Amino acid sequence: MSSKTINIPLGSQHISLLEPVRFKFECENEKIIGVDADVGFVHRGIEKACTTKFKYDGIGYVVARICGLCAITHSLSYTAAIEKLLGGEISQKAKYLRILLLELDRIHSHMLCLSHTCENAGFEAMFMRIMGDRELVMEIQELLTGNRVQFDFISIGGVNRDIDSLIAKQIIEKLSLVKQKVLGYIDEFSSNWSLSLKFKGIGAMSLDEAYRFNAIGPLARASGLNIDVRNEIDYLPFDEVGFKMQTHIDGDINARNIVRLNEILNSIEMCNNVLEGLPEGEIFTKIKGKPKGETVMRFEAPRGELMYYVKGNGSAMLERVRIKTPTFASIPAFSHIFVGQDYADAPAILASFDPCLSCTAK
Amino acid sequence: MFTSFIKALKNLFKKPQTIDYPTTPIVKDKDYRGLIEYGEEECIYCLKCEKACPPGAILFVPVESPPKNEKNKKGLKYHYNPHLCIYCQECVRACPKPDEALWQSNKKPPIGIKDDKVNENWFELEKLKQTSL
Repeated sequence: MSSKTINIPLGSQHISLLEPVRFKFECENEKIIGVDADVGFVHRGIEKACTTKFKYDGIGYVVARICGLCAITHSLSYTAAIEKLLGGEISQKAKYLRILLLELDRIHSHMLCLSHTCENAGFEAMFMRIMGDRELVMEIQELLTGNRVQFDFISIGGVNRDIDSLIAKQIIEKLSLVKQKVLGYIDEFSSNWSLSLKFKGIGAMSLDEAYRFNAIGPLARASGLNIDVRNEIDYLPFDEVGFKMQTHIDGDINARNIVRLNEILNSIEMCNNVLEGLPEGEIFTKIKGKPKGETVMRFEAPRGELMYYVKGNGSAMLERVRIKTPTFASIPAFSHIFVGQDYADAPAILASFDPCLSCTAK
Repeated sequence: MFTSFIKALKNLFKKPQTIDYPTTPIVKDKDYRGLIEYGEEECIYCLKCEKACPPGAILFVPVESPPKNEKNKKGLKYHYNPHLCIYCQECVRACPKPDEALWQSNKKPPIGIKDDKVNENWFELEKLKQTSL
């Protein structure tokens, strides 16, 4: 540190943060010229617990508790990895129901992120509005799974609950309401003056930088990088339900918000397609055996690629469970974006990354 | 400007989005995942629920005066910890006689206060289970 610069911390406890993370900014006047990040504040030793405390068939419920927002993606990735090891095939209906929950998860996670960016830009009323409308999605999830946050919907061999026509009708009604609201937000996010002032041209990242710094998820797609795990895997039939890649070219905070809003619209369309074209059949097929060997499973969490590595030795206890979360992979990109920005914009930029620290530290 | 003024006026007289909780009761869905309930007479003591439970919230512990059931040859008694339970329904799916011996209700769990000695009592049961194995 030279004598002309000063260090200003952001976190670990800060009014703009949802979860504990510490950034140390090296500032020259108002400009940030260096960043140091520390993410390990909520370490709970879940990876170790998975190999010492719990048997392989209960771990799906353990990893779901890593994060409240992407609980479904975690349990789905783990379960899919175990199913791959055991060599079992699940029914088409279970696959469709898994997509439905995955997309609902994405909708409510993106809505939380959008509301949070609004709050950090000082637009408290918009924050309240989006959080209020997010309740609709939470109600849908409660209808489907019986709980608001911890869904426990996915188990090895299929899903735990079936869906009937009454619930499907209610879900479609509520989703059409959410769609109207989201169309309203797109209007607001692209034309509202106070949001534009904080968002447009701030925290920009070019396509080349996104590629070089290993950005993933909405962060990369906002810079025009065509990267989405849903496009690359064939484990779940994403093509059949109408998945479309959403990208933007600007790479700033506004672009990230627009990408998220478009993804919500795409997810709503996918949910409707799932409910309309839901195949008949069993929701659960029993898969027997003990996991032996190693495998890697990837899924697109709301924040980007989530990777699970599972290694078993033929007994009920696993040898290794490694979880690579999207926020962890994006830290180099985060740190790069901060450089050259004003310190006053740092909370708004940080919220636009949608960091999930309890996932990262696990 | 004019439309936002009208919107603001309308918002003043709109109902709040939240529920006025103690006066207005919260409607509970019938499929809400709540307490696990147990039918002692129907139980066949196969202990499948105990093995299936991820957090170990169900324990069958040998006691001096066990419930009278011809299937209960080892003199076990069912114990359930609602504060440890994650309400995942794994036990009900493992049960050979669901809805009769073990089922999930939509009731809320009790509040665990210090005087109930929720933890201490449960740790003792866990020790008993360990010694009986």
